Amino acid sequence: MNKKRDRLEIIHDILYVVREKKDKALQTHILYKSNLSHQMLTEYLSELLTKGFMIEMTDKKGKKHYELTDKGYNYLKDYNIIRGFVDSYGLG
Amino acid sequence: MTFSTLSPTWFFGYDVVMELAFAITCLVISLFAFKIFKVTDQRQIKLFGISFGIISASYFAQSLFNFLIISELNENISAAIELNSVLLFDAFGILVHVILMTTGLAVLAYMTLRTEKARIFWFMLALTMLGIFLSVNKIYMFYLFMSLYCIFLVIHFTENYFRHRQGKTLLIALAFLFLLFGNIHFLISVNHQLFYVIGHALELLAYVLIIINLYLVLRK
Repeated sequence: MNKKRDRLEIIHDILYVVREKKDKALQTHILYKSNLSHQMLTEYLSELLTKGFMIEMTDKKGKKHYELTDKGYNYLKDYNIIRGFVDSYGLG
Repeated sequence: MTFSTLSPTWFFGYDVVMELAFAITCLVISLFAFKIFKVTDQRQIKLFGISFGIISASYFAQSLFNFLIISELNENISAAIELNSVLLFDAFGILVHVILMTTGLAVLAYMTLRTEKARIFWFMLALTMLGIFLSVNKIYMFYLFMSLYCIFLVIHFTENYFRHRQGKTLLIALAFLFLLFGNIHFLISVNHQLFYVIGHALELLAYVLIIINLYLVLRK
């Protein structure tokens, strides 16, 4: 049985999908892989864009996709340490 | 009532070193929390970093003023002049330590509430400060409030342990339990000096556990 994910884990999952898609992730890819409702995903994407974890790009056909910034890559790289610290003090 | 009179004379100097060690430990935790905040942008983590930063400053102040008192006492004993400056250092040192430690623990307690309403924090802080500074025995009241905050934090960290049953969460729950016991000993030390020493020993144990936790987190 899966436990309920917290914010940090959901952010990790979204950024992970974007990285796995080699920075060419469409919103539908993220929606499918991150297991979130459309409304929740929109809120998270808006937060991640505002806080500079990723950027939104538009290709020649007008399709939007997402790319990670350095901050996004650092989050994924340091996730285990972040998780350990946050869990220790119940900050999640 | 002063800190210097709470401490037995043979413990002068040891308390300064221990308080300095607590200050450095809290500073390390605070800086680490800010490093994590920079990556995550989570408000809880920022509040946590701020609280440990303020607690660190309170220990630095306590250590510095206790050091100044000891230096001044040694000088005055040899020069046989009046001890007004000692009393001044003591009173000012207590004031700075009480204000910073109260604010630091209030921020930490506020952080556990997971609310965005800043008014709750200011209400908690004002209530605590008024309770301390309007009481007859300010030191006693200070340690009483600190013990109450610690009880609140022990409950939070124990609940956290039951949510994430890991060695790391257990270490933090135990650390805050030792901090609570330490504060209770400081409360009693107003009448019995030995409890001031035991209070420091318990705090030392708590900060050792916090450092072990940080080591385990970084070892991943």
